[in-house]
Amino acid sequence: MKLHNADKTCWNCPAIDLAGKVDFRACGQSVESFQKNLPEDSDVLIMAECKRRPELGLFDPMSITFEECPEWIESPYGYMLKDMRVMILGIDGYLGWTLALWLGSLGFQVSGIDNYARRMWLMEQGADTVVPIAMMPERLEVAKQVLGQEINFRRMDISARSQLREFIADVQPEAIVHYAECPSAPFSMIDAEHAIEVQRNNVLGTLGLLFIIRDTVPESALLKLGTMGEYGTPLTGRPIFEGMFPADAVLRWDNREWSLGGELTPRDPVSFYHVSKVQDTFNVYESCKYWWLRSYDIMQGVIYGVHTPQLAADPRLRTRLDIDEWFGTVINRFVAQAIVGIPLTIYGAGEQVRGFIGLRDAMQCMTRLIVSPPEPGQYGVVNQMSGYYSIRELAEKVARVGRREFGLDVKIQRVENPRVEADRHPFEPIFENLPKQFGFEPQVSPEDEIYRMFELLTQPHIRKRIQQMMYHIVPRTWWTGEHRRVKTIELIEPDQEVIGGDGHGAKPSKYTQPSPALTKE
Amino acid sequence: MGAAIRLTDRNFEREVLESDIPVLVDFWASWCPPCKMVEPLVDELAREYAGRIKVGKLHVDRNPQTRDRYRIMGVPTFALFRKGRLLCQRVGAQSKAQLLQMLSEVL
Repeated sequence: MKLHNADKTCWNCPAIDLAGKVDFRACGQSVESFQKNLPEDSDVLIMAECKRRPELGLFDPMSITFEECPEWIESPYGYMLKDMRVMILGIDGYLGWTLALWLGSLGFQVSGIDNYARRMWLMEQGADTVVPIAMMPERLEVAKQVLGQEINFRRMDISARSQLREFIADVQPEAIVHYAECPSAPFSMIDAEHAIEVQRNNVLGTLGLLFIIRDTVPESALLKLGTMGEYGTPLTGRPIFEGMFPADAVLRWDNREWSLGGELTPRDPVSFYHVSKVQDTFNVYESCKYWWLRSYDIMQGVIYGVHTPQLAADPRLRTRLDIDEWFGTVINRFVAQAIVGIPLTIYGAGEQVRGFIGLRDAMQCMTRLIVSPPEPGQYGVVNQMSGYYSIRELAEKVARVGRREFGLDVKIQRVENPRVEADRHPFEPIFENLPKQFGFEPQVSPEDEIYRMFELLTQPHIRKRIQQMMYHIVPRTWWTGEHRRVKTIELIEPDQEVIGGDGHGAKPSKYTQPSPALTKE
Repeated sequence: MGAAIRLTDRNFEREVLESDIPVLVDFWASWCPPCKMVEPLVDELAREYAGRIKVGKLHVDRNPQTRDRYRIMGVPTFALFRKGRLLCQRVGAQSKAQLLQMLSEVL
């Protein structure tokens, strides 16, 4: 079978040197200087040189495909540029560390930066990862010993532009994965300081990075982590397209018709964190337009899971796992709650529907995107998810696995929703680009990954850490600005009818207190 | 690969201006999201009207001579040619209905 990126050409390849040979209008580069040197009978107008194969001299970048180029070799995820240099920003994080080991095992040359901000943000709230992780020097040493991987790490803030510029210029990454953002909606809603810090780190960090890429590695692909939360859940029920409207989407008004094809779709972010991601989207989009940067904006669904073969190779190689109200994602939190006997907390009606993706599938997607770089100037978008579920359905799944496989008495509780969001809404996400264009096939089922999570998190030392973190599990951060623990609305027996009330009568759980207003009823 | 033919500065004369049948040209660029999005529509038209209308795509950054000759200042631009003459052109993404309306002049 033909690999998904077989027909891509040097036009897409980061090893190409187009500088001065293509009319990069906004870069101040001109095609004129090149054309002067062209033979009159030449059949091509755009020529380039290959940084990896200088012996080719000047050639037409459309004339060699990945399939034909000896620098691109077959891998399980498509043709892969030999020893491709990938820099991961935020390499100490849940995704960053996982991706570093994953890519390293495939033969990529991995480098990365991190300033441990994620660790600090949790520490500030009194929380911590429940899966213990060492500091980077030790993690790097274990990666070397156990997996034979050499990762080029620098402790660095993405905002330290001169340092970052120097590191990028030195490494010359052929792809840059940008995970160096604060990924928490509740954290951005704590107060003004947190909202400002999240937007400063995310928006300005990304903006500075774009200038650095322009000036040092414009042929490198930027893989920027966005979120499905940028779109919100449009109450019109229209499909949630992959960043842009398709060609056959039309606007009809006043008996006239316009194509919406290629226009960015409306965004409806649901927290100040999500707003930062939307701002990033526009900054990246504009940079592609102004400077011919190449980027994929990866609208990731809610991530969950703990397993990749590399993470499981040694306990010291595990990635972090957060279960607190700020940085824990919903399935990860449910599993932790089930283990320490907290009824799984679903907010409001629990009928919010979200897209999800398992950790290992996310790694597969990232690899496929890295080996299939966008064209010069291309701002591509993928909705990175493998399925969608209501929060209630997921709680049921976690409860089922916990009960059947691990003998746990798992209950579910509906709590007040501290967020401002629609509890019930239409949801029709489109997530076709990754399977159709990049050959992505989901490998992880929620049940299997939930099982693996129970296996890991029920280990005594981790269970103990979850117990120590229990105070941080039930939310206290309200979108309204309040700071109080949410109250239980009702307790639900999994896979059964609601027990303890008609939806108004609150039943106190062991861990949350009933709402005075509701108990009066 | 799409059904529309790849036009260049080198083959424009032969494929478009000397064509026996009308030619719809999609002037596009890789940095232009609407261009990418209308690509399937352009291919669809190429297949549906094969033999009656020729449909071609010209990348404006790789083919600056033709771009400048027709003063393409925005992409996508759709231009309809017949017997070497430019009949009409429209700037911006077009729906299929709009493209068909454009083609109706020569169909």
